[in-house]
Amino acid sequence: MVRAGKLPFWLWPSEFRRNGIIGINSRNINLIFPFNPRSNYALVDNKALTKKLCESRHIPAPQTYALIQRFGDIRRSIDLLFGLSSFVIKPTRGAGGRGVLAIAHRSGKGFKNTKGELFSLEQIRYHISTILSGLYSLSGQPDQAMIEKLIEPHPVFKGLTVAGTPDIRIVIYKTTPIMSMLRLPTEASKGRANLHQGAAGVGIDLETGITYGGVWRDRVFDVHPDTGASLGGVTIPMWKDVLKIAMQLSCAIGLQYAGVDVLLDAEDGPLILEANARPGLSIQIANRCGLWQKLRNTNLKQGFA
Amino acid sequence: MINRNRAAILTALILIAAGALCAWLRIKYTLKAVGFQDSRAWRLTYDINLSSTREGKIRIALPDSTPYSHIYRETFSHQGIWVDLLRNKRTKGREASVVSMAGYQRGRFLAHFDIQLKPDQKSKLPPVEEKISANDRAYYLRAEKDVQITGPGLANILNQLANEQMTKTELLTRIFDYCAENIIKGEKDIFSDAENTLEHGIGNTLGRARAMVALCRLSKIPARLVAGFILENTQEAQVHYWVEAFSQKKWLSYDPENGYSAQLPITFLPITRDSIDIVRGPDTLGYQSRYSIRRLLTPTSFISSQKSRLLNIVDLTRLPPSMQEIVSLILLLPLAALITTILRNIIGIQTFGTFTPSLIALSFIHADWRTGALVFFIVLSVGILARLLLNKLQLLMVARLSIVLTLAVLCMVLAVSVLDYLNLTPSASAVLLPMVILTMMIERFNIIAEEDGLPNALKIFATTILVSVCCFLVMKVELVGRLALIFPEVQLFNIAILLLIGRYSGYRLSEIWRFRDITQIPFK
Repeated sequence: MVRAGKLPFWLWPSEFRRNGIIGINSRNINLIFPFNPRSNYALVDNKALTKKLCESRHIPAPQTYALIQRFGDIRRSIDLLFGLSSFVIKPTRGAGGRGVLAIAHRSGKGFKNTKGELFSLEQIRYHISTILSGLYSLSGQPDQAMIEKLIEPHPVFKGLTVAGTPDIRIVIYKTTPIMSMLRLPTEASKGRANLHQGAAGVGIDLETGITYGGVWRDRVFDVHPDTGASLGGVTIPMWKDVLKIAMQLSCAIGLQYAGVDVLLDAEDGPLILEANARPGLSIQIANRCGLWQKLRNTNLKQGFA
Repeated sequence: MINRNRAAILTALILIAAGALCAWLRIKYTLKAVGFQDSRAWRLTYDINLSSTREGKIRIALPDSTPYSHIYRETFSHQGIWVDLLRNKRTKGREASVVSMAGYQRGRFLAHFDIQLKPDQKSKLPPVEEKISANDRAYYLRAEKDVQITGPGLANILNQLANEQMTKTELLTRIFDYCAENIIKGEKDIFSDAENTLEHGIGNTLGRARAMVALCRLSKIPARLVAGFILENTQEAQVHYWVEAFSQKKWLSYDPENGYSAQLPITFLPITRDSIDIVRGPDTLGYQSRYSIRRLLTPTSFISSQKSRLLNIVDLTRLPPSMQEIVSLILLLPLAALITTILRNIIGIQTFGTFTPSLIALSFIHADWRTGALVFFIVLSVGILARLLLNKLQLLMVARLSIVLTLAVLCMVLAVSVLDYLNLTPSASAVLLPMVILTMMIERFNIIAEEDGLPNALKIFATTILVSVCCFLVMKVELVGRLALIFPEVQLFNIAILLLIGRYSGYRLSEIWRFRDITQIPFK
């Protein structure tokens, strides 16, 4: 692994402040409380609602096969699965990619997920019931399960994709994208694209859609931790469309500071995965830049004080 | 945003001012009598085990209320034995007569005595005048097995001390001075009888006390040994011995070991004047006795006037002692919450559940932490293992949680029972951990281990324990508990600090580590 630069053990907070880095406390107090009204959280915390919103506004999102709301629905939905070769089951109120089961193809009587593990029908039924009982939901409340089309990652991500689907996180402040990164699942993250679970993040230049150096486990990384492929220099296809749908969604959900996750499907192009009212802060490391600087620029451009 | 910060700071300042004002007023007007004087309430615990099935009777001397100490509550519990409470014919001291019950392997006698010392006195009241019958007089002048008064050495020493003009009182003082100054304090296993102690000039506590009794009796001053305890916090209280001599129609107390003459501090609690052993019985009847002394929160109801004023509602120290213990425990919880807040929002430590560490720490406060930690880890490891096995059965969540809870409860009850069987718990107040909290912790541990890997789960587990230990160490400080009880307004300070932390938008300590990389490799 290539690690750039030598790190000091201790840094004074003033140095962070000079670089415009936002910490968790500051994010909550200065961005989330004033800009994200709690009443709008429901829209982003529930993926089924986000998707409904996307459909009504004609914002592209992965096709939904079924929404399972009650234990009684499980049997009917299981029947539906027989007709499908690949699909994703996810909790509508899950967090951090927990409880997401991505089935890539059929294998005899059972199914195989994207990592090649075998799942029987019984196991899938159990998985759905644990979702419904609220195991993966944010507050442990009973939840719903969603069955969606499995995304085929765009060929441009070949060599960067390990056991999961990469997505693009775009942080939007007052309808303007201020920072973005490509999130790459790794072995360590078990195929999930959340940075705190071990996924790698790669900063993307907002103007051009070209990636540069990345972050892994909060440290600067220039190559993919599993494949060793270079993280910089990848041009994200249909970049303007990616930004467009992210901005459309951010307008629709009524959050002034939001993280929108966009998938890039090989066939369908950019699709909304979900929105996040509390986007993480590692994106700053991926972009080698503090969020305050970007926020300040946006405020200046838009004429805010 | 700035307005909110200002409002928070302003509110915090108002709360601090209000809290300080309340505290000041109370110190000035209501708490004068109590203040921070040292504790006047103690709990003495007897834990006596009979390990024999053989027949026989033992007698256990019990503390009694005296002019300067009052036993305001006592509880007895026993198993496998018959207990009869009675008074000693000669000394009028209280005793428990214990006989093993047929069919029991072991017997146990457990008693708590909550003792309230009379305030405003550093030492005992002057003893009251008494009459002593000729019979008793002869009894307290007699020779005993280890209190020999016939030896030639003894008479020599007395001859050195006494001269003819001396009154009995003066002689008594000289005898005491001799025993306190001239007899060297020896180890525990050195001479404990009067003759050898005087002959060699060295003896243990008992030996020196007996030497003084022997010298007194030889000079025709009635004297007796007192066995009792000095009240101080200890898990293993040792029996202390001192002397009472009858002079000027009073029983005067002397402690050659600590040098107290005629009067003793009120923390000297006499138990028996009839024997050197608190527990007496035939040697064939094997028994172990263990005594512990613990300081209690001062029950002010004994001190302050009983006037019922509305203002007394805020005076929590007027509550009965048992209630005070609970109330002070509850009042410590916000403090634990404050510590948790600091550790999470300023340091940036992750834990399983927000208040899990506080509640775990709380459950350890009145338990012995070693046994508590043992039970804690046993319950936790059994729970985590069981949860791993249950995972294979693929049960629904609530059912699975309930099974883990049941197992944890079973495991804890069993552990407490085993500890009791092995006589490891010092008292009946065994560890009662918050089971539901533990169950959720087991569940969270397994989920995180499964999803984010075992190292992550162990890391969060370690930080949870760390936060618990921090909470425990602060809450364990006795002064903190007493302050929380005496000054409930301290909670206002707590809210004030929490307000300030709630508006703290600076970096967390852990973020300095986390974001180190950005500043070093700046944007191209």
